[in-house]
Amino acid sequence: MVLIQARNITYKYPINDGQSALKNVNFTIEEGGFYAIIGKSAAGKTTLCNVIRGFIPHFHRGDLQGELIVEGKDIREWEMDELAKKIGFIFQNPFTQISGVKDTVFDEIAYGLENLGVEVSEIKARVKQIINLLGIEHLQDKNPYELSGGQKQRVAFAAVIVMDPDILVIDEPTSQLDPKGTKDIFEIIKLLKERGKTIILVEHKIELIAENADYVYVMHEGEIVHGGKMEHVFSDPKVLEYEAGLPQYALLGIEVQKRNPSFSRIPINKSQAEKELKKWMEKQEVY
Amino acid sequence: MRHIENFVLNLYPSTKLMLPIFVAISIFLVPSYYYAYMMLPLCMVIALLAGKLKEFMELVIKGLLVLVLFIFIMQSIIAPGEEILWNWGIISVKKEGVILSLTLTSRIVAIASAFLLFFRITPIQDIGQALEKVGMSPKFSYAIIATFQFIPEISKRSKVIMEAQKSRGVETEGSLLTRIRAFIPVLGPLVLSSISNTEERAITLETRGFSIKGKKSHLYEIKKSNVDIAIQIFTIILMIFLLVGRLLTWY
Repeated sequence: MVLIQARNITYKYPINDGQSALKNVNFTIEEGGFYAIIGKSAAGKTTLCNVIRGFIPHFHRGDLQGELIVEGKDIREWEMDELAKKIGFIFQNPFTQISGVKDTVFDEIAYGLENLGVEVSEIKARVKQIINLLGIEHLQDKNPYELSGGQKQRVAFAAVIVMDPDILVIDEPTSQLDPKGTKDIFEIIKLLKERGKTIILVEHKIELIAENADYVYVMHEGEIVHGGKMEHVFSDPKVLEYEAGLPQYALLGIEVQKRNPSFSRIPINKSQAEKELKKWMEKQEVY
Repeated sequence: MRHIENFVLNLYPSTKLMLPIFVAISIFLVPSYYYAYMMLPLCMVIALLAGKLKEFMELVIKGLLVLVLFIFIMQSIIAPGEEILWNWGIISVKKEGVILSLTLTSRIVAIASAFLLFFRITPIQDIGQALEKVGMSPKFSYAIIATFQFIPEISKRSKVIMEAQKSRGVETEGSLLTRIRAFIPVLGPLVLSSISNTEERAITLETRGFSIKGKKSHLYEIKKSNVDIAIQIFTIILMIFLLVGRLLTWY
């Protein structure tokens, strides 16, 4: 089922140099899919997230053209409080993603559920569950202001997923995290996908996208220049022209293909690379 | 998480508020400075019951002692009077001055310690929740709570900015004038960064469903018990007694 449909979206921020932040953007998001948005900095990825979550046009002014249909209704007609229940949104900067009215991490994570009017006993159970899921038991009694960047990022992530929205828009959730923390977050995103959530993720860590995402959209200068099934996009050398990056296995495959066109299928992850190279070497009688 | 098993701490915010109100009014009804000075031990007893005596005393000593001593000395010297108690060069301490400053400082001590204690034993979230219960908008109570939570953050942030400006060559140490001058490059970024953060803060609140209409729940529901009502009524009656007594002994 099509969940989100964007048609010819063009958007200009109120204060800018006359350039459009988004130009003629079209895409479709299917229910239950895991979509990754890649592209170099200032390509319009964050702006796109803001449109999907409705902060454009409800919060940021500026000129929005085209239409974005979420569950059959245009984003302009959605009420902000309805969108809050429907779409979870985690943005880049973890330092400002604190409610500012709670003393402890536990209370901070519970804040969204309080606003939803959930029963206290259920709040406690759900918050505990999320804290266990993210492995942040050691933080639960700390003041959210006194956490490190990575810890704040995990708490912000927890505070949104505890509200259990159907759609998650996640903008660079791992910018402050070490490799282990990044992997943990991806594990949780995978788990959320298994629970049937629709995920839209902006991320620079291409290898992890190659292991997890279903679809990839490539953005360049405000446009979606490439998009489709992840295997498709990541095996296409054209992505490199947009400086969006490719998995190292794909880069290897592309290099081999350049020198020897008989290497037909470009791998995107480790297991595929091993398989393809082995097959190709056997054919070339390298052994 | 909060686990409160304490009689004083479990009282309703408006019950706790009766203390500073009672103190502030009664010290003007009972004119003796002995009475006003007695308010400090009273607060100490309540603080002890709440298990916050140490915190409370630290605040009183750090915040109040210097101020009160300063006012006491200044008033004693400056206030005019006839009966000189002590003389040193052009400085003379008069009896009237001492009595006046005793009265003044006793009132400052009484009111300040009552309010300090009130904010020690009442979490600001509870005050916000109590205000919401009497019909105030959640936006307004958010603003109050967020402001109180942000105060320690401001001092931390100003230290960071101070360090940053130091590394850019701004002189922050030395004479009083240099220190005052260094204040401006610290204040500017502090205010501006706070303003620029408000946009993302608003978005954060929106993602946590702040604007969702309907009943919100509270992790720590505050409840008014019969004990609260009894204490409130008792305090009000006490205040009426003091008022009547004061009016009868007016002349």
